[in-house]
Amino acid sequence: MGKNVLLVDDSSTMRKIIGRSLRQAGIDFDNIFEASDGLEALDVLAKEHVDIVLSDINMPNMDGISFLREKSQRDDMKDIPVLMISTETGEDIIGEAKSLGAVGAIKKPFTPDKVNEVLGPLL
Amino acid sequence: MKLRKEIINATVEIFSTMVMMDISAPSAKGDEYGVLENTITGVIGLAGTHKGVLAVHVPHAVAFAITGSFLGIELDEITEDVEDAIGEIANMLGGNVKSILSENGRDIDLSLPSTVSGKEYGFHTIKGAEKTAIAFDCEKGTFYVELQLET
Repeated sequence: MGKNVLLVDDSSTMRKIIGRSLRQAGIDFDNIFEASDGLEALDVLAKEHVDIVLSDINMPNMDGISFLREKSQRDDMKDIPVLMISTETGEDIIGEAKSLGAVGAIKKPFTPDKVNEVLGPLL
Repeated sequence: MKLRKEIINATVEIFSTMVMMDISAPSAKGDEYGVLENTITGVIGLAGTHKGVLAVHVPHAVAFAITGSFLGIELDEITEDVEDAIGEIANMLGGNVKSILSENGRDIDLSLPSTVSGKEYGFHTIKGAEKTAIAFDCEKGTFYVELQLET
């Protein structure tokens, strides 16, 4: 089975940029799923096979931290790794994200090389 | 002056890495923009130890070029894509300003971005706020990044 990724960001532009950066970094996924907040992301994870999630933090309805908290309590999805991609990279908030299972963080703005450097070892 | 320099560096970094567009500051036009014409403004609110707003005022022609570069399409009207793109520019600038103003970013919360667009409008300064406005030149025109902080 090929690898699938879920991009979670309230900005459709940013989701497209991340998708483009993955391609430019030479990281190929069979399927790129998208969600505009944590609630939609939980829905996708409940229905689709996803290998890794790239998620923003500051989002409406359900932010990235609440998404991590909710996901960590669901047996069917708690082991799926989540990499945060956000303007929010303060030690406190990233520390909280990591305590809830996030495997790392990339700061916006980012380059395809940076995405490759952080995401590559996780795949 | 340090804050101004850091905002310039953050803006140049965002445009060079994400928008793939060359920009420069300061602009020969100066940093005061007056009435905004055929412009879209992206706004982020700051709350906590530093309260205020960060705004980016982008002429429509520049906004079309930014969105076109992001999405690989050509535009000639303000669409949801343009609003989303300019909101995201404001969001990234807000994140940078947050880390400039607050070590570890722990003391400041950011709002979600919003945008306003029109043929002619003003953007007023919060009463008593300290304002830093910077004009940037690019091929399609001049845009402004503005930070207002309550004192």
